[in-house]
Amino acid sequence: MQTKNGQVTYLDAVTQALQSEMRANPDVFLIGEDVGQFGGAFKVTKGFLDEFGPMRVVDTPIAESGFTGLAAGAALCGLRPVVEFQFADFISCAFDQIINVVARHHYRTGDAMPIVFRCPFGARLRAGPTHSQSIEAYFAHVPGLKLVAPATPQDAAGLLVGSIRDNNPVLYLESKYLYRRIKVPGPLSTEPMPLGVAKVVRPGTRVSLITYSAGVHQGLEAAAELDSEGISVEVVDVRTLVPLDLETIASSVRKTSRAVVLHEDARRLGYGAEIAAEIGEQCFWSLDHPVVRVAAKNTPIPTSPPLEDAVLPGTAELIETLRTVATT
Amino acid sequence: MPATQKRAPRGGNKSPSAASAPEERQIDKDLYTRMFRMMALMRAVDDRMVSMYRQGEMLGSVYSGNWHEAIAVGTAAALRPSDFLAPLHRDMGAHLWRGTEPREVIASFLGKATGPTGGRDGTLHYGRLDLNIYNPPSHIPDNYPVATGAAFAFKYRGQDGVALAYCGDGSTSRGDFHEALNDAAVLKLPCIFVIENNQYSYSTPLKLTTASADLASKAAAYGMPGERVDGIDVLAVHDATSRAVARARAGEGPSLIEAVTMRMHGHAEHDPADYVPREMLADWAKRDPVEEFAATLTDLGVLDEEGVKTIKEEVHQVALDARKQALADPLPDPGTVEEGVYAD
Repeated sequence: MQTKNGQVTYLDAVTQALQSEMRANPDVFLIGEDVGQFGGAFKVTKGFLDEFGPMRVVDTPIAESGFTGLAAGAALCGLRPVVEFQFADFISCAFDQIINVVARHHYRTGDAMPIVFRCPFGARLRAGPTHSQSIEAYFAHVPGLKLVAPATPQDAAGLLVGSIRDNNPVLYLESKYLYRRIKVPGPLSTEPMPLGVAKVVRPGTRVSLITYSAGVHQGLEAAAELDSEGISVEVVDVRTLVPLDLETIASSVRKTSRAVVLHEDARRLGYGAEIAAEIGEQCFWSLDHPVVRVAAKNTPIPTSPPLEDAVLPGTAELIETLRTVATT
Repeated sequence: MPATQKRAPRGGNKSPSAASAPEERQIDKDLYTRMFRMMALMRAVDDRMVSMYRQGEMLGSVYSGNWHEAIAVGTAAALRPSDFLAPLHRDMGAHLWRGTEPREVIASFLGKATGPTGGRDGTLHYGRLDLNIYNPPSHIPDNYPVATGAAFAFKYRGQDGVALAYCGDGSTSRGDFHEALNDAAVLKLPCIFVIENNQYSYSTPLKLTTASADLASKAAAYGMPGERVDGIDVLAVHDATSRAVARARAGEGPSLIEAVTMRMHGHAEHDPADYVPREMLADWAKRDPVEEFAATLTDLGVLDEEGVKTIKEEVHQVALDARKQALADPLPDPGTVEEGVYAD
């Protein structure tokens, strides 16, 4: 699972974690479209069919609602399904099953329904309005679901293992933009990481940038740039949207007294609205500036490069916002 | 009272296909008696709940399973306790067959702590996983894909278990119906899909639901056997289910059964169902599945009239007691309301 020079990509990390859990636990199986003989649209599960066989790497008809319900029934019977949505965009076809069957089952009955939904999500690949969506806000609203959005290969591996071992339904949001863009020296640990723990990925003093997934890398780039101007940015990687580690976020904001929230999803009622509201309620007396959101425009994600770039939050816009918040 | 278990359903329906015609049966007195008692119990509890609704005792409405007793019990009785059931709201007999107590069912309709969900969910949403019964949401037939998952789990583990799911004629319009049947057929899962064709989905008559001549024939589209059966005749339902079970256990994949009956009440008790032609109801009223099975059992010498009467009186008392107990049961503690959103 490592490249020639020992480097591991974000995509390798997902593959490696999945493989490790499937080797460790015979109840874990993978189901979705093109996951078996084709190895997945992004080749995350290449070779899995040969290693694990067709009962554990299940190619399905194009039926997101059907195989989500199948996973729900299998989970009730003690298996640990990992469902792959080819693109997170297609999760909308399974919305009813996730909301009404999966999310509230434990509350309704006391019976666990552990399922991991792998959702390659996000924009910047010129894939257009129905292959570029951020889906977290729809689902973060629903009690009973957990949402994970790793930014690094190590977190991708540890949080996937942690998600598979969790006894609840987890939406695991994989950044398809990061898949092959982020590389780290291997090998990675496949020890499970706990859900609900944020991480300060760059300490700073003047302003806190709260973000997740691909936003973390954009945030680190902006922070490095501003550092040369003498503006110290603390970057907090939320890592898990539900449950949200408010303690780490609030303690960072109380320290810096300023907060910017960044995500690639549309601004209106994006997950940043929740983070901003919590910061407002919990850190009001520590704030020296209103909490500001940097997010995509309230439009669908267009396909053509100049249009997509105009909709998504750019690094220049992020730097400008951080500078303004830090110095006002 | 017609003792014509082999007769075709009425109400403008065609006869059940020849495939569901009675075959040589081994008369199992004990099994038949238990099946009759369970049908009578379902009727007694159901009628008790309707009267509770009319007295204003229920939280919400009541969804009568009258004329569905043969389907609920005939199917459940053809399974093992370890098989998986995914029932809907008119299948109380399947729950009772597995061991759910009438008191728990009524408690569910009262929002009591003693209901299977402890008041978290309620009314018609009950189901005990310890009895291998799924508790379905309101969105039907969401239980169809869930049943394919249970069937998948049996196959995954190399066990010969079977999953059986119910839906109504109205549910056959939804994508989950199609996706579940297609997935089960492609993956060759030990799954049995039962359509309870009771002629109406809420106010919508069958002819506004489907242009197909019948619902069983939809099976052909998925490459699985489909069988249409008289849903009033519990032994015919039992036979058809047993055939499907045998195929499933033998690794031959899923089956579709359309059991034809009539919804004798409104969608629920708040619904007077004045959109249903009275003569249609009058016609179907002559085909009470509980009475028809009683007549069959007396014909076969399994029970005499006294035996039938004794069972009816006994289940009537069970229903009365269940009502009394459920009414006296405690309500849930609101202090617990935030517990259980997530599993540990």
